[in-house]
Amino acid sequence: MREETSGFASGLVTALPIALGYFPIAFAFGVAATKAGFSEAEAVMLSLVIYAGASQFLALALVASGAPVLVSAFTLVAMNLRHVLYGPALMRAAGADAARKRAWGWAWGLTDEVFGAALGELARGRRFGEPFMYGIGLGAYAAWVSGTAVGTLAGGGALQAYPAVEAGLGFMLPALFLALLLSILTRAAVPVIAVAGVATVAGTLAVSPTVGILGGMVAGALAGVVRK
Amino acid sequence: MRGEVVVLALIVGLANYAFRYGPIRMGWGEGQAAGRMARFLAATGPAAIATLVVASVLPMVGAARLPLVAGIAAVLAVWVWRRSVVLATLAGSLAYGAVFALA
Repeated sequence: MREETSGFASGLVTALPIALGYFPIAFAFGVAATKAGFSEAEAVMLSLVIYAGASQFLALALVASGAPVLVSAFTLVAMNLRHVLYGPALMRAAGADAARKRAWGWAWGLTDEVFGAALGELARGRRFGEPFMYGIGLGAYAAWVSGTAVGTLAGGGALQAYPAVEAGLGFMLPALFLALLLSILTRAAVPVIAVAGVATVAGTLAVSPTVGILGGMVAGALAGVVRK
Repeated sequence: MRGEVVVLALIVGLANYAFRYGPIRMGWGEGQAAGRMARFLAATGPAAIATLVVASVLPMVGAARLPLVAGIAAVLAVWVWRRSVVLATLAGSLAYGAVFALA
């Protein structure tokens, strides 16, 4: 166990790997948005206001296909429903006396990776602190929005001449998720991970990726309740 | 800027904020430290991240498999070697791109 400071600066340091992962992914989003006919301002606005990677990529496809706004909104909202579980899971790991007065601000930045990194830090003995949460959140958010802006400026055809770079960037998000999973891996989590994985594959193949994601998360969390 | 894109972003963005902040504001899952709710929440993190790993890798399984194998192997190897999320992520991405270029 270690007791490290939980200030804003250490939050920014913890955000560094996330920012390094976010920037190229957001860059790819900016490029894809321009390719799909979105203006630079629209693409940056999506990153500023939605701030959820996978659903932003899906939003491009939905808007470009002319889907009604309410149908698109419903799909994207359902996709992000998983975030409901992050706050309570984090506060549970932080302990009953953890401060949350300024959660109205840092909670906005509670993305998959920020949640995973914060949880990993707590699991490794760091004490919870709100300035720390602002540090991780702002670092990641800045990388996401600036990556999008640079991607839109590069334009839709930016990566066409470099298919290997495009392929490598495309693997950035899975690699980041896998590394986060390894960082929180414990013996007790193995059955949870196995059930979540199987349920995700089953739900995706049988119904849709969104059902697979929701089903995997709920089935995995339920497996944690059942296990002794 | 198109009105429909702004409306879509606002609806989804507000929902995201409600999902991320609402449960903390309402104090969901607190109070009783033990019990089923506590175990459910403790398992949520690993479950969510495992789901996202599978969901993001699944669409790549159908395409060229060699870069995928190289990418995953690089993430695992660098994680074991350095225990660093950033190095493992970057190594995985580099290995994927490199093998893609060679294949």
